[in-house]
Amino acid sequence: MLKAANPDRPDLLTWAFLVLGLALLPVGLYVALSAPPDVNQGYLARIMYLHVPTAWLGYLAFFVTFLYSLLYLFRQDPRYDRVARASAEIGLVFMGLALVTGMLWARPTWGVYWTWEPRLTTTAILFAVYVGYFLLRGAIEDLELGRKAAAAVGVLGFINVPISYMSVKWWRSLHQTQSIDLTTGKIQMAPEMLQALLFNLLVFTLLYLGFVRFRGFLAALEARREEA
Amino acid sequence: MLLRLLGVSKRFGRDWVLKDLDFSLQRGEVVALLGPNGSGKTTLLRLMAGLLKPTRGRVERLGRALLLSNPPAFHHHLTAREHLLYDLAFHGREGDFAGALRRFGLPEGLPLQAFSSGMKKRLALARLLLLSPEVWLLDEPETALDAEGRGLLLEVLKEARGRGGVVLATHDRALAERVADRALTLGEA
Amino acid sequence: MRRVLLLALRDLRLEVRDRSGLLSLLAFFAVMLFIMALALGPEEAPLRRAAPGVLWVALAFMSTLLSSRAFALEVEEGTLDDLLLTPGGKEWIYFGKLLFQLLLLFPLSLLALLMAAGLFYLPLERGLPLLFTLFLGVLGYASVATFYAGLLARLRGREALLPLLLFSLVVPVVLASVRATAGLVEGLPVAEVADWWRLLLVFDVVYVTASALLFPVVLEG
Repeated sequence: MLKAANPDRPDLLTWAFLVLGLALLPVGLYVALSAPPDVNQGYLARIMYLHVPTAWLGYLAFFVTFLYSLLYLFRQDPRYDRVARASAEIGLVFMGLALVTGMLWARPTWGVYWTWEPRLTTTAILFAVYVGYFLLRGAIEDLELGRKAAAAVGVLGFINVPISYMSVKWWRSLHQTQSIDLTTGKIQMAPEMLQALLFNLLVFTLLYLGFVRFRGFLAALEARREEA
Repeated sequence: MLLRLLGVSKRFGRDWVLKDLDFSLQRGEVVALLGPNGSGKTTLLRLMAGLLKPTRGRVERLGRALLLSNPPAFHHHLTAREHLLYDLAFHGREGDFAGALRRFGLPEGLPLQAFSSGMKKRLALARLLLLSPEVWLLDEPETALDAEGRGLLLEVLKEARGRGGVVLATHDRALAERVADRALTLGEA
Repeated sequence: MRRVLLLALRDLRLEVRDRSGLLSLLAFFAVMLFIMALALGPEEAPLRRAAPGVLWVALAFMSTLLSSRAFALEVEEGTLDDLLLTPGGKEWIYFGKLLFQLLLLFPLSLLALLMAAGLFYLPLERGLPLLFTLFLGVLGYASVATFYAGLLARLRGREALLPLLLFSLVVPVVLASVRATAGLVEGLPVAEVADWWRLLLVFDVVYVTASALLFPVVLEG
């Protein structure tokens, strides 16, 4: 799947993802901006085209980290750890974007920067977990222990997601405040909007795949330098 | 063969402490580990025990290994009796710890913070004897021991030979020559 | 299995002998509750409303401190190696350290409950369900705390990482425990509170298992 081989330069597939993704990005922007405004939220809803894909990819990235952390714990192959870590880095960026866009969306729409909306809160928690992932890696000098510790955090952190989500959701449901839903559920999706959304989702997925492979490649180079 | 090291190298940060080491330990052997301070003797013993993993290479072990550190590590708020009791239980063994304490001239009911360093060394030896591993790793056991203590050390080494194999890191050349079958010296280029 | 119990009892014995540790922990705890009562009071209503939250914040702090202590002693004395050289898998060390903390945290949480009743007007009528909530919550918190404390113990001076790593994982425990406690205190029927208990139970089972399995991996150097 995403296993990087031991190359001297990024392979063709990596370039393909990156180039395609970057090339399609302005197309995605155009498609997003030319889609009709939402019935309820007007032009404001357009931030969704950035928010939803980044959030979705953030979660996908951490799922990949979870999988490869497990693989590393079972097989001890450093390549798995490199993928896990690359995915966590890219995931952190995407999650950060998702949080920021979420807050930017919330402010004009509901007047507050932060709501304890279950999805947003769970995203923030997961973001904190992965900040911890990198802080821990930085704090451990022994390479082998660092990888194992990070893999453990990757596993423990991800299985936390469903439990955290449920707990925040129930917690919120106690209060009869309006259910603030930052995703497409509350927005009537015209077909053009859905297309635009899916297109941007595709673009960002390509970028994700490209970045992770590239980062993995860089990590392989770093590892090779360490060996010498 | 109780212990085998194949191409073992260990690095801390950017420093290679051990490089491409091959070693094997047979039952009934006593090997002296020699070398100046900082040559990596303690690191090597910890690798043999399994407390450290090699950066490269492999460590194979048949049976249990125990390490007598320098200085030995104890919980100072326990008495000798309590400590041995717990240690035996954690290793799933039984033994005559009262007899061992008597043999090594150690009081049962005194908290370990009242022990001198020589007494702690003796206690560590008694503990090793009771736990009786297959691989005995001793890091400078002769330090802090008086004449009677050294006698006990020699007895322990003799019994260890009968039960397994010994690697003995030491600065005491005379001791090494007296008890060891061969020597491994670190710190060479 | 026996070694789990013995390790917990040994650590307990050590804590009792070295009295200063336990006493300072208790003192810190009492002062914390006192200060929070001062900050949030003196009217009864806001205190009572804040009580479940305050209770669990105090317990969270206690658990974090206690988990570092559980391993700090080993590192101080250099005895962690001896535990690692015991035969068989090392999960028992995790369970032993966890049990040690639980043996201290349960009486402590009882004390906390009593102090909350006194300082924060927390009603104690439904004692048994409250105790059950304490049990589930404390177990959940300690299960993760033990894992991370063990991991960080050997990294000199990295204990500062413990709160960060810990708090991001234990959000469900804190939320559920506070909600369950508040629900019980407000007189909700047990059936409604039971949802939170179920969530706590799931967390506990998942994290005790996962932590126990991962613990030996991160202890080896």
